[in-house]
This record gives sequence, structure tokens and C-alpha cells, in this order.
Amino acid sequence: MEIDPLIGPVVVLVAWTLVMMIWMAATRAPAMRDAGIDIRTRIGGRGQDLEGVVPASVQWKAHNYMHLTEQPTIFYAIVFALILMGASGFPASIYLAWGYTVLRIGHSLIQATTNIVRYRFSLFLLSSLCLLGLTAEALYFVIHSL
Amino acid sequence: MHPSPLLGPIVALVAWSLVMMVWLYVARLPAMRRAGTDFAALRGTTSGDIARIVPPEVQWKTHNYMHLMEQPTIFYAIVTALILMGFDAAINVWLAWAYVGLRVAHSLVQATTNVVRLRFILFLLASLCLASLTIHAALYLLHHG
Repeated sequence: MEIDPLIGPVVVLVAWTLVMMIWMAATRAPAMRDAGIDIRTRIGGRGQDLEGVVPASVQWKAHNYMHLTEQPTIFYAIVFALILMGASGFPASIYLAWGYTVLRIGHSLIQATTNIVRYRFSLFLLSSLCLLGLTAEALYFVIHSL
Repeated sequence: MHPSPLLGPIVALVAWSLVMMVWLYVARLPAMRRAGTDFAALRGTTSGDIARIVPPEVQWKTHNYMHLMEQPTIFYAIVTALILMGFDAAINVWLAWAYVGLRVAHSLVQATTNVVRLRFILFLLASLCLASLTIHAALYLLHHG
């Protein structure tokens, strides 16, 4: 079975999200220890409760991980829709989907390290334009198949 | 067309998320009424506002429901990717069902006793299942893509 070339960017972005999850956990564990939080005896509580308790730069990794479970959900939806419509023959789909994934990785690296909002915003804007392009393409396919 | 055996876990986890949604309302609405909420006058509130007026264990159901909108979204993506690449080998079907089973158990812990140590272990095991599925998908792409 020939594998659709649009699957690649999906798998890479899911893998990247798990990398961010590990990065979040790896920075959070020592910071929680420093803040005197003992998860062995804790009842209730969740990640958001750590705002203001652990250093902001520790939470930045968590912010980005959460961010990766927001907009990318519609990226996955539209890419699967394009695959199921057979739109992978168009080079634009492949470029836009890889563009989205690569820009989101850049966005993560900024948010998790320097977190300079101007750069983060530019990358988010560019990745959103890729997503918009994919969605416009899918809409075009839908309208032409009516 | 015979449906892929990987569709089962997707449908089960979506169904479970809806069960948690029902559970959150069943817990939340009476708690809000007890706190004296005038439902007819509510305007523009979010679950953060509710957290201030209801007991924490009521919010635990909400926390879990929201949690189910986070990591499982990439579970759906990777399992769908595996289906579309035709890699529904038994090991992937087992891992996907294990993810769903562990997430259901994670929900039950977070919504009831909310012992963080137990919740964390279940989350960790579920994440390992998800990581394995992702590594399988990536390796399959490298070899056949």
C-alpha cells in the first residue's frame, strides 16, 4: 500500500508534541521539588496550579504543550480530510503541511526558551497561514466535488 | 470495506469523554444550585468562575474532561495516521486499547479520590502507549514512506 505523503507532517507533529511533554515534565519535576511540592502525598491539583509557584520559564514548556493540543487539532482534521479527498497529488498540500509542522516546532522552541512574544507571534501567524491555505484547498475540493 | 480494528479504541475514548461530560454536569449543576447560583441571571461565565463557588471534588470531573481534550487529540491523530498507512498490526491495536483503558482508569481516579501519585502513574503508562504508537508510525514511514 502506497503511503500518503501527507501522513508525514502529522506523525512528526504528534512526535514533537510528545517531545514537548517530556521537556515539560523534565523541567517541572525539579521545580516542584524546589517549591516543596510532594506529589506522593498530594490530593487533587493540576498543572495550572503551578502558575506563580514554579518559575515562569518552567511553565512556558507547559504553555507550549497545551498550545500544541489546541490549534493542531484542526490541522490534523483538515489534513485527514485532504488525504481522504485524495488531495495529496497537489504539491501545495505537501508544502503547506510540512510548513505548518516546521513552523510549529520553531514556535515551540521560542516559547519554551526565550519566549519573545514578537517572534512567537510571527511564527504562529505564518503557521496559521499554512493552515488557512490547507483549509482553502480543502474547501475548493469540497465545492468542486458537489 | 472492513473497518480497521484501530477504530474501536477511537470510538471508545470519544464515548468515554462524553460520559465524563455528563458526569461533570451531574456533579456541577446541583453544586451550583447549592451555592445559590441564579441560572437565569448567568452571563458570560466560564468554568474558572465556577471553581470559586463549588467544592474542589466537583471541579475534578471538569479537570478530567478538559484533560481528555488535551493529549487524546494527538492519540486520535496518530491512530488515524496508522489506519491511513495500513499499519493496524496486533501490537498497535493492543497499545491503542491499553491507552484507552488507562485513560478511563485515570479519569476514575481524578474524578473520585484524585490521589496524584496514582493518577500520575496511570498518565505515565498511557503516555508510554502513545509514545510507542508514535514511534511505530514514524518507523513505518521511514521504511515504507
